[in-house]
Amino acid sequence: MNDDPRLSADELIRRLRGTLSPWRRLRGAVALVAGLTGAAFIGLLWATEPGPLPGRLHLAFGMFTVVCLTWAGYGAWAVTRGAPLYAMDRVIAAWLALTASTATTALLTVIALRRDSGLTATLTVGIAFIAASAASLVRAHTRRTALLRRIRELQTRDDQD
Amino acid sequence: MTDELLVLRCRLGERDALTELIRRWHTPVWRYLARMLDIGRADDVSQEVWLEVIRGLPRLKDPARFTPWLFTIARRAVTNRLRQEYGQAAAPADEPIAEDATDAYVDRAELIAGLSGLPAAEREILVLFYLEDLPLTDCAEICGIPVGTVKSRLNRARRMLRDTLLRKGFQP
Repeated sequence: MNDDPRLSADELIRRLRGTLSPWRRLRGAVALVAGLTGAAFIGLLWATEPGPLPGRLHLAFGMFTVVCLTWAGYGAWAVTRGAPLYAMDRVIAAWLALTASTATTALLTVIALRRDSGLTATLTVGIAFIAASAASLVRAHTRRTALLRRIRELQTRDDQD
Repeated sequence: MTDELLVLRCRLGERDALTELIRRWHTPVWRYLARMLDIGRADDVSQEVWLEVIRGLPRLKDPARFTPWLFTIARRAVTNRLRQEYGQAAAPADEPIAEDATDAYVDRAELIAGLSGLPAAEREILVLFYLEDLPLTDCAEICGIPVGTVKSRLNRARRMLRDTLLRKGFQP
């Protein structure tokens, strides 16, 4: 039997390039952040809309919210079950989450203040999201730092040998 | 660069390290798959194995134990493929530990020639130990059996291989 594969390593790498792509890995995190941000934004607009709304507008708000939550659901699935997130991907994803939750909370707070409605709920949910994002960022940085330290140790040992 | 260092760089997210890891281990994994299945299916299954490796690398607990982890994935892929094809579990069953004094030297070329005539469990242990040069502990981890069982399975496999080769006309 021939000991060399018909499918070369380079051809295999070419076939796996989608899985190896950082964007492919990060798109789940992007969908999750964008979906949650959009759902929060539309939900607050819907909840604080002054005056009675026509039925079609309720339907439109509801549909937009469902679309955003669907994207968030896809993102959550992709992050937990789909493409893996490596240490650097986790840092980027955590920064995305922190930036999006901070910006969304600030924007929604301004809207709640102007409409004089839903401020407490906005701040409670917004701060919870910011805290969760900050915690995941700290965890991602800690994990990456530990990996870098171990890599340096092994490289030093290799150089000494 | 050691495998552990390469795996750590992969877990960091370095694409170059991932491609280097595939280049380094593609042929040994393919050889194992080709012995356990055949050349045609080995190409197909090796892609499945590497997809699983890329997905699983962030969860690998001990990067220094990459080799047995990699072959455990390859073994699972073989089992899944055989199960799909035959509609029944194809994982080799554990055998009782048996003492055997056979310690005949096994020539690589003869080994390859005789492998196809052996049952899956014996073929697998010979491929891992002789063709992939893995230590007994790694073979045990990959097959999910104690080291003692690996030794007895190796002895039995060598005996079966010798009988197969004698039937094919090889001289001892």
